Amino acid sequence: MSAASQAQVKNVERNSLDAIIKKKQGRPGALLGILEEAQGLEEHRYLSEISLRQIAEGLDLPLSQVYSVATFYSYFNLKPQGLHSVVVCRGTACHTRGSLELLVEAVDRLGIEDFREEEENSATTLDGFATVRTVACFGQCALAPVVEIDGEMMSRMTVGRLVSALAKLRKGGPK
Amino acid sequence: MNDRKDTIITLTINGQETAVPAGTSLLEACASAGAFVPTLCYLEGVCSNASCGVCLVEVEGARSLLRSCVQKAAQGMKVNTTGPRVLRARKTAVELILANHPQDCLTCARNGTCELQSLSERLGIREIRFPRTKKKLPIDRSVAGLVRDNDKCILCGRCVAVCKDVQTVSAIDFAGRGSRTRIAAFMDRGLAGSPCVQCGQCSVVCPTGAIIERDETAAVWRALADPKKTIVVQTAPAIRASLGEALGLEAGTLVTGKMVAALRRLGFDKVFDTQFAADLTIMEEGSELLARISGGGTLPMITSCSPGWIGFIETFYPALLPHLSTCKSPQQMFGAIAKTFWAEKAGLDPANVGVVSIMPCTAKKREAGRPEMVGAWQWWKEKGTVPEKPFADVDWALTTRELARMIRGAGIDLATLPEEDFDDPLGRSTGAATIFGTTGGVMEAALRTVYELVTKRSLPSLDFTAVRGLEGVKEAEVDLDGTKVRVAVVHTLGKARIILDEIAAGKSPYAFIEVMTCPGGCIGGGGQPVNIDAAKRLRRNKAMYVEDLRLPIRKSHENPAIGALYADFLGKPLGHLSHGLLHTKYKARKV
Repeated sequence: MSAASQAQVKNVERNSLDAIIKKKQGRPGALLGILEEAQGLEEHRYLSEISLRQIAEGLDLPLSQVYSVATFYSYFNLKPQGLHSVVVCRGTACHTRGSLELLVEAVDRLGIEDFREEEENSATTLDGFATVRTVACFGQCALAPVVEIDGEMMSRMTVGRLVSALAKLRKGGPK
Repeated sequence: MNDRKDTIITLTINGQETAVPAGTSLLEACASAGAFVPTLCYLEGVCSNASCGVCLVEVEGARSLLRSCVQKAAQGMKVNTTGPRVLRARKTAVELILANHPQDCLTCARNGTCELQSLSERLGIREIRFPRTKKKLPIDRSVAGLVRDNDKCILCGRCVAVCKDVQTVSAIDFAGRGSRTRIAAFMDRGLAGSPCVQCGQCSVVCPTGAIIERDETAAVWRALADPKKTIVVQTAPAIRASLGEALGLEAGTLVTGKMVAALRRLGFDKVFDTQFAADLTIMEEGSELLARISGGGTLPMITSCSPGWIGFIETFYPALLPHLSTCKSPQQMFGAIAKTFWAEKAGLDPANVGVVSIMPCTAKKREAGRPEMVGAWQWWKEKGTVPEKPFADVDWALTTRELARMIRGAGIDLATLPEEDFDDPLGRSTGAATIFGTTGGVMEAALRTVYELVTKRSLPSLDFTAVRGLEGVKEAEVDLDGTKVRVAVVHTLGKARIILDEIAAGKSPYAFIEVMTCPGGCIGGGGQPVNIDAAKRLRRNKAMYVEDLRLPIRKSHENPAIGALYADFLGKPLGHLSHGLLHTKYKARKV
């Protein structure tokens, strides 16, 4: 894409976000809904600094408060997300049935370096191919361990099935 | 439940029957019954997040222990504040906090003034039972006035509350969740990228060492030891009412003479007074006000002494900047005069004169470092006798806390020092200059002078009591020989917003407004002794007026040293030299 047409896309995004802000302004809980739509608007499903600034200005809220809300909910991403998503449940049931091994395998296979589970809940491959994420619990404990790949829940997951699912992604599977 | 304050309810606290007005919190009820309940996150009038779990008490019939800071006292309650269940729970709450708190009390700036440290001592904690769960975060040294270390933060939320609710700056807020919760500015960047005005109220309310002033005492010690340098010091008005407190005396103890003696013992070549420059400010600002009134200038005019306030209007209300007096603050006026008039008279190379100021303020550090604050250097440059590299008018601005640290470090005992006088001529001042240290003081000092300049008559009474006291917004009307001038005084930036919105809406009835950034003015400044409460603030406030009465001259225009400065050097207020040395420009700040 040329620089000019990239700028055009950006402008369209800014204008749509302004429309969303106008539509929801003044309603209780407006901020959450706007953040949600703003994230959907971005190509890489995240809240860019520009979006956060635009929302704060539009709602006349302090930047620190908008940032506070955006960082509180794990649903919101502050970094660009990969094309594919791999979510590993790290709840107690899944943990006792080997979810740590699955997480390590997913991170290794996708080539993510230095993922520290205790410090962050997601990491994206450098080429933007996939994001690996942990969740506290999917609520599917009877089916543990559970992994979600591109929105599809896979229960009683094994390392073998995970490896082949990831290989399928690489070959151009779902999405 | 009837919540009206005039209804009295009775409850039993530790077996003692107690009567309190309805609506009283359990915490206050316990205090009034003499049952001390420790707190950590709670701060009267600022913060009651009920997040720390330290103020737990046992109430008969309640399923769990209650947090007394947010629980209202109720008729017939039976409260226990000392039972084993309460003490164990309190101890656990603090132990959990300590799990993630660094064990570096010995080297912490708040060693000896830390609320967590004293609470831990009070509860008899002898070991840290729980493992650390948090990652160490980088220290924020991005601004001139403050240093923020999230590692020492216990997430009480006082800084967030004071920044958001009292100052309406909202530079910081909670970010993240669970064990990753932290206090952060937007995008986890330093304070420099935030609207922070460096007022330092966060550093005053912080119970630990998570937000402290940037300590510059090492640089000042080095300068004092340098034989090539002549180091002079200026002390802000409020310091004489708070330095004693920082060194263990009762709040509001005046230590003017002993402070001067201590500064000499530390090795300062001259001990001068910011109050001299406060009198100078009144001459310039009073003349500016009269010129604006008679010449159709922008009104209301607003004072410009308080650098946090300057940062605030530059950030949030740039369109109203023409309302600011162009006068530099007393700190900066002093620096500009010391390195021109005084240095020349003393036959000193201005580049070898160091000006240290002792301020109740963290924002003064930023003000001293503003690139335009090089008036003296420009003056010498016009005379063709200075180095290429500009030197600042004020080299170091230390807070009250830093000066106390230097005095303690030098082994100086304030109590045994004699009372000494400031050096002439930049140490001469008046009662009008003293009251700059508290809210309403600049206004009162200005009125004393403006009235007499306009009417050419002596004021029947010097005490403008309407602008005194600690209410958030104060008003008065003065009759200047037929011209009625309405004035207002506000302190805290939240209150400043009210009068600014009025001005923006074209509805301000005032000609002159005093704004101070901090609660109570400089006596409650961000560089002042910590562990402040309303009672201590009032004692510091009262001390300023005691000092005003003690001084033989109480009007700025009657300060003979100021008269001499105009006669020998400046010419007249608002003259050519004043313009370059004593006045400044402001600019909008984008964050």
